[in-house]
Amino acid sequence: MKKIREYIDEMFIEIPGSEQKEVVKEEVIQNLEEKVDDLIQQGKAEEDAINKAIVDFGSIDDIKKELMGRQPIKKNTTGLHLGFSIWGSALIIALCLFANFYYTPYIIWFVYPTFGVLWWPLAMFFRWLKHK
Amino acid sequence: MINSDIIRGHLDSIILRLIMEKDRYGYEISKEIGLRTKDQFQIKEATLYAVFQRLEKKELIKSYFGDVTYGAKRRYYCITSLGKAYYKEQLEEWRMIKEVIDIFMEE
Repeated sequence: MKKIREYIDEMFIEIPGSEQKEVVKEEVIQNLEEKVDDLIQQGKAEEDAINKAIVDFGSIDDIKKELMGRQPIKKNTTGLHLGFSIWGSALIIALCLFANFYYTPYIIWFVYPTFGVLWWPLAMFFRWLKHK
Repeated sequence: MINSDIIRGHLDSIILRLIMEKDRYGYEISKEIGLRTKDQFQIKEATLYAVFQRLEKKELIKSYFGDVTYGAKRRYYCITSLGKAYYKEQLEEWRMIKEVIDIFMEE
């Protein structure tokens, strides 16, 4: 029976630790041990019974997928960032535009900060494009 | 032993059905599946516990600890009312699928 526990322990190693994982692991071990006992009662040697239980277990990937899926999936917020950057830069540019023409109508300087500010939505746009 | 995608796609429903009949625990379900299909289909334990996780996450089944065996408490599963509704829906869908496939595959 120790072999079952060792085998399952090893299988579960690649799943990140959580309370849920321990519960499932114990459940699996317990049920496999019962299966082994059942097989022995049907006339199998203990060694064979354990091997059959291990072979029948299958691939851990299914359980892994379910248990890992529990962790919250990172939400894609790049669209929000892009929207924010567009509104933000538009406001800054508008302010510069206003200040430029209100206070110094004969010197056109607002294009310089405008070019600087435009990097922001541009960067966010490509980030959004990458995640789309 | 068959291992077809069609069965795999309906494992949730099959297990839900078995739990609907009465509260069951893991090994009981895998044994029951082998018994009913005369070992034509056997579920892998890893798959079974993945299905439990999935169904529980969707709140289609609930688990509780029952009597003590093998040094620990057995974990039993019971169906929720949401699970029953889901099963009914799946049953309807399966009947429709069967009808459609039969049109082509039955002589």
